[in-house]
Amino acid sequence: MTNQITLNPVKKKWKPNWFAFFNGLFFTVICLIILVPLWKVLVDSLDLTTGYGMKLWPVNFGLDGYTSVFTNKTLYQPLFNSVITTLGGTFFGLLLSTLGAYVLIQWDMPGRGFFAGMLLFTMIFSGGMIPSYIVMRNLHLTNTLWVVILLPAINVYNLVLMRNFFEGIPASLFESATLDGCTPMQTFYKIVLPLSKAALASIGLMFAVSYWNDYTNYKLYITKENLYNFQMKLRSIMMGSDLPSANGSATENTVQNAAVIVAILPFMILYPFLQKYFVKGINIGAVKE
Amino acid sequence: MVGSAPVINRKKKNLWLRVKKYWGFYLLFLPVLAFAIVFHYMPMFGIYYAFTKYNIIKEPVWVGLKNFERLFSMPNFWNALTNTLELSIYRLLMQTGMAVILSLMLNEIISIKGKKLAQTIIYLPHFMSWVVTASVFQLILSPTTAGLVNQTLLNLGIIKESIYFLGKSNTWRFAFYLISLWHDTGWGTIVFMATLTGIDPGIYEAAAIDGAGRWKKMWYITLPSLANTIITVLILNLAKVMNLFESAFVLQNDAVMDTAQVLQTYVYYQTFNSGGIPDYGYTTAIGLFRSLVGAALVLMCHFASKKVRGRGIV
Repeated sequence: MTNQITLNPVKKKWKPNWFAFFNGLFFTVICLIILVPLWKVLVDSLDLTTGYGMKLWPVNFGLDGYTSVFTNKTLYQPLFNSVITTLGGTFFGLLLSTLGAYVLIQWDMPGRGFFAGMLLFTMIFSGGMIPSYIVMRNLHLTNTLWVVILLPAINVYNLVLMRNFFEGIPASLFESATLDGCTPMQTFYKIVLPLSKAALASIGLMFAVSYWNDYTNYKLYITKENLYNFQMKLRSIMMGSDLPSANGSATENTVQNAAVIVAILPFMILYPFLQKYFVKGINIGAVKE
Repeated sequence: MVGSAPVINRKKKNLWLRVKKYWGFYLLFLPVLAFAIVFHYMPMFGIYYAFTKYNIIKEPVWVGLKNFERLFSMPNFWNALTNTLELSIYRLLMQTGMAVILSLMLNEIISIKGKKLAQTIIYLPHFMSWVVTASVFQLILSPTTAGLVNQTLLNLGIIKESIYFLGKSNTWRFAFYLISLWHDTGWGTIVFMATLTGIDPGIYEAAAIDGAGRWKKMWYITLPSLANTIITVLILNLAKVMNLFESAFVLQNDAVMDTAQVLQTYVYYQTFNSGGIPDYGYTTAIGLFRSLVGAALVLMCHFASKKVRGRGIV
């Protein structure tokens, strides 16, 4: 990376570009600060002797940390729960944000302003942690996966992002659809949704990441261990209360490091391909803001 | 709407006609409405518990402002309040400042590939959950021989014995800020980068003709064009300072509660981890106080934003 930055593309007379050099150095250091902690966890997860903190490669290479994690049956259920809630939650999240956004761009609709105000008010004021807990308990939603799927699905911030995107759809398309006899529902899935694939991808990914990473809602509403997701499980592994028994010659430390890597690996593999969608999602909001 | 319809009662009729015309949309909005009511508005009515004595066993009993009297006489509560404000406001200032510096420097990278690579790497931590982030740093900052930071400092002779960074109040605060910077600074640059790409290159060319160097261009063109975005980001995030929960929760431990306890974690521990039968009335009162301060901040920010950039935040 530094090589590409230090070379000045202007081809006249070669002159060292000190600023570009130091800028490259600066970002090399920044990137190292971000990557070194993750690298260290990866190295330790593959090292069976964890006596020494500073090292670039595993001293005593071995996969026993990972076999300890993967042969542990108590981890299958949390992984399964994470997948189920992420898929279900992303579906409900996208459903509500597209429906809400579609209705909020009907400027002539009586009551539109009231609906918008009602949604925006929830961004300003909330009942708080305990009243939410009591309501969920009275509805018998606590200790079910429904609460962690449905509660974060109504996300007003994402709904507003979606609305900003829908506003860019030319009004003439809606008019001609209505003239052709389309009902609002037909217009929605024949015109609005096909034209919004980019927004659906971006906002869907934002939902997916927040569902996959959810910890707070589980901590508040779920006490049964068989309903934990992987984040909850990882937390108890890290707190030492629920360590999977180490296989072979893996130490406790190796197993903990391996569990962290298992938690982030799926995302790390997908991330380089998905990154542009995340940035696009932020910019949908930024352009209109 | 032009037609020959009688002018009398036009408005009334129009409203009815419009409602009829849009009935399909009302139907489509029903699920959103239902979710908003169940998950946002029903809890809002629950703030009534703040004025009652309430536990699971007995029905709520009205006690007026007693919960608040108890609350305001608790040193733990005041401690949690100041911690919340201190931790989240300092963190916000540091993150924004650092994000601006990173954006300015990113903007100066000539190679497009290098810039893309740097951006990919600095956005990465934002996608890691706070549980994962806390786990990574627990391992890195560990005082045992496996802890990277302690071993490095020991080897360089900077410290004589291992420091338990997350186990002492002074170092905990420092670690909290640094870990937060690690987690979110890169992601914070996106909005600034979007503004920077919008600057007309003609301005830079004109400045170059006038003899402005790199630093002068940065100081007199780039930074001023970011000013509005910086203020917007600060205002939007100031509205959220009272929400601090997960990041503090996963990093705290018993030894550092005097610095690490924030309002939301205080509510959590008082309700779910206090040992006895939880008093929902009391903890709802804490939550209500937090929501009110939060709402006041949002409104302040809203009017500040109206003044500064001519439009509100919502």
